[in-house]
Amino acid sequence: MAVYKRTYKPYSGELTANWTRFTILPRYSLAKIFDSKILIGLLLVSLLPFLVAATIIYFTNNPVARTLIGLRGESILSIDNRFFFQLLKIQGSLAFLITAWIGPGLVSPDLTNNALPLYLCRPFSRVEYVLGKLSVLFFLLSLVTWVPDLLLYGLQAELTGSGWFTANLPIAGAIVLGSLLWITVQSLLALALSAWVKGRIAASGLMFAIFFVAAGFGEAFNQVLRTYWGHTINLVYLINEVWADLFGVPTGVSFGRRIADPRTLSVPVGVAWVILLGVCGLCLLLLNRRLTAREVVR
Amino acid sequence: MAYRADELIVFENVSKFYGDVLGVNRISLAIGPGVTSLVGPNGSGKTTLMNLMTGLIWPTKGAVRVLGLTAQDPERFFRLVGYCTQFDSFARGITGREFVYDTLRLHGMTHKDAADRTQESLERVNMVEAADRKVAAYSKGMRQRVRLAQSISHHPRVLVLDEPLNGLDPMARAESMALFSTLGKEGMHVIISSHILHEVDRISDQVILLNSGYVVAEGQIQGVRDEVKEHPMQIMVRCSRPGFLAAKLFAEDHIMEAKLHDDGRGILIRTRDAGRFYSQLHQIVLDGELELEAVAPADYDVNSVYQYLIGSEGATV
Repeated sequence: MAVYKRTYKPYSGELTANWTRFTILPRYSLAKIFDSKILIGLLLVSLLPFLVAATIIYFTNNPVARTLIGLRGESILSIDNRFFFQLLKIQGSLAFLITAWIGPGLVSPDLTNNALPLYLCRPFSRVEYVLGKLSVLFFLLSLVTWVPDLLLYGLQAELTGSGWFTANLPIAGAIVLGSLLWITVQSLLALALSAWVKGRIAASGLMFAIFFVAAGFGEAFNQVLRTYWGHTINLVYLINEVWADLFGVPTGVSFGRRIADPRTLSVPVGVAWVILLGVCGLCLLLLNRRLTAREVVR
Repeated sequence: MAYRADELIVFENVSKFYGDVLGVNRISLAIGPGVTSLVGPNGSGKTTLMNLMTGLIWPTKGAVRVLGLTAQDPERFFRLVGYCTQFDSFARGITGREFVYDTLRLHGMTHKDAADRTQESLERVNMVEAADRKVAAYSKGMRQRVRLAQSISHHPRVLVLDEPLNGLDPMARAESMALFSTLGKEGMHVIISSHILHEVDRISDQVILLNSGYVVAEGQIQGVRDEVKEHPMQIMVRCSRPGFLAAKLFAEDHIMEAKLHDDGRGILIRTRDAGRFYSQLHQIVLDGELELEAVAPADYDVNSVYQYLIGSEGATV
């Protein structure tokens, strides 16, 4: 064997912090996403609730403006926990559409093309890979949920004054915690489906099935057996239960109007938390199983 | 010159199973600097061996150390290793330069260092002109070169290249081979996998032949060629007069052994030169000295693998 003397120098320069490296991945994913006209449209639609809510807050706090547009009376709506709860419900639905559109395309190209070793043969772990992909969804979904809601919260506090901000801090907490929980559940589910289902359309379809077909089955189960436990496979119902608890709104109440007897609807909120977190855990297990670097060519 | 353990890629009795499926079995190797080729057909274990030495998978048994390190120390280990995979996935709209730059940022380099090393590695693979074009518009060979650029851009000491010549035109192939050779001469451990030995033997200092998860030959290229050429082959002959055939062939120096079948209608021959054996058998049959029923290699697997790996120059049948 020839004997070689090493004549080059390995890299010995400055290194960035480990925890920042996952932020490299979203860069091109986001660029690609913002090339999509459909997604831009979805994001714009998702801003509508924010604009409507901002308008309501403005008129509610401004009697002169109300008079100018011909509205008389005390106020349009009460800006309270119920207001933000209903707003988050609408934004949560729009966030779901965004997730179903972009989530399934995040991981599957890397797996289909056997490209994971490209990422994982570096000081970059599978956890960081998942974090990088998740951050794409977290960024976008935050833009349509808790970020505008906190702005609205700030607007209301500014217009109301006199201690509204501190008196209603639990609402801000509910906005952030409730949004982050929903974003986590949806994002992990989308990534797990992206990892296991090759076709993007099929993965999006499956995501709709998990949310809506399961809800239908659950409802049928409830009707046949005269129970409410069928709701435990209805993720939308479960998140609404958690949100209602976080915002301190009685279940089955919509804009102050009782729509159903809570006793026939409620799954205990603790159970809802356990199931939603269980779904997250299951998705992580599925990702852990699927995201391996090995290629077996046989 | 003997290398120290921290200058070698060492496999110590390594086995890797994927469930019941064998990846590689009982591999013991010590790979020094220079160009080493892993040669074997599909499923022979080349990629498994590469994944083991790049820390992407762990051995089921045994230990792998790359220049004294294991993947349990990922920060140091992955800086030593550059991997040019067979496959890739590029984000839509990304350019070659951005791709290499991003992989360096994943290594933790700062913007300036990453940008400088991106330029340097693109120059080495002769991709500067096309660097700012979108990867989607690249030919297969250009994609291969961009992958190569990302694998050398962080200055690794071990460069693992999985089928790096696939899809390259003759010019790019020659350039890549020259680059591998140069990197090897600079003291880098360059590990190249290939289906065909004579594709890589010109630049290889060492070759490792793999089949079905086992190392079947290793060493310097000429030694392996000689080993293959001298590898005894077993050939089964069914004929009317096997005793006559044995007597006729025993005078030949390439015949090592002849075993008569119990039914007296066949013979198993071990020879170092199957080509000569077949010529002589052909002549005997033409002379009408025996009637032939069947002739078949008894260890066809090994033979066919060697023939496949070595190509026509080393073919013995």
